[in-house]
Amino acid sequence: MPMRYSPPKYRPTLWDAVIIAVVIALGLAAAALFYGTAGRGGSAVVTVSIAGEVTERTALPQFDGEHVYTGNGYTLTVTAQSGKICVSHSDCPGQDCVHTGDISRIGQSIICLPAQIVIRLVGASSGDADVIVG
Amino acid sequence: MYGMKFSAKNIALCGILSALALGLSVLEGFFPLSLLIPLPGVKLGLANLVTLFALYKLGSRPALAILLTRCVLGALFAGNASALLFSLLGGLASMGVMIALRRTDKFSVFGVSLGGAAAHNVGQIAAAVIVLGDAAVIGYLPFLLFISLFTGALTGLVGSLLLRATAHPGVTTPEGGSCNG
Repeated sequence: MPMRYSPPKYRPTLWDAVIIAVVIALGLAAAALFYGTAGRGGSAVVTVSIAGEVTERTALPQFDGEHVYTGNGYTLTVTAQSGKICVSHSDCPGQDCVHTGDISRIGQSIICLPAQIVIRLVGASSGDADVIVG
Repeated sequence: MYGMKFSAKNIALCGILSALALGLSVLEGFFPLSLLIPLPGVKLGLANLVTLFALYKLGSRPALAILLTRCVLGALFAGNASALLFSLLGGLASMGVMIALRRTDKFSVFGVSLGGAAAHNVGQIAAAVIVLGDAAVIGYLPFLLFISLFTGALTGLVGSLLLRATAHPGVTTPEGGSCNG
């Protein structure tokens, strides 16, 4: 049976640097696209969506205090104070939402995948999300 | 005929590799990278090692078969149907990129692994966008891609050592036959 390809190259080649450059460029492009419209908290609007539906849309300064949301059987407690939002408690298995910490700038979000809850900070004039799929 | 020879030995090897990939997926659950790095979906990607090995040693079709087996059985064992979507989109994206990179014959094992790791993350983010119905998760992509450079390099290193150690004929072909390196 003839060999189809040459043997694997065991040492990194110069071309591998191209891959690294492409991955970094992709990351920067995604960051620029996503966080490019970052503004200060004053004009930010908080949107809370559960299972893809926006259930709440409030200006950030009016969002202070504790809010409880339930999605997919999981309950999240969101605490907002002086322009910062965090998930103070959640009963989801991964706790990624709690570990995310505070968000305070437009473009940032806290996501709980098991609960399908997304808390986003958007600009006052922009829509709910960049893209809605499905 | 190009590609893997359908010997009993190779079929058995595919079975063992599938089981190994499944085992590695479970094993990396014991190293919760997400405690160190608070990104959902960040992981070592140990199962990609098997995909990498199979791609070089057996060819793209057996590697794809092993990947699909790992994804379906993994989701079945985890009892989680939506895990299948994440697993599949991540795995297929990774597989596609790795096959393409391998085919150009310009990249080393490292390059192929890096490309695969990055593509895996893109695939999983795509799955998250579909499940959530919201593009907010794309905000995680830059960080995940950055981490994938390290996990991809690690997998590439181990894969390179593994392939070099198994480079002698007889691993996937009868003794004395030609082989894929």
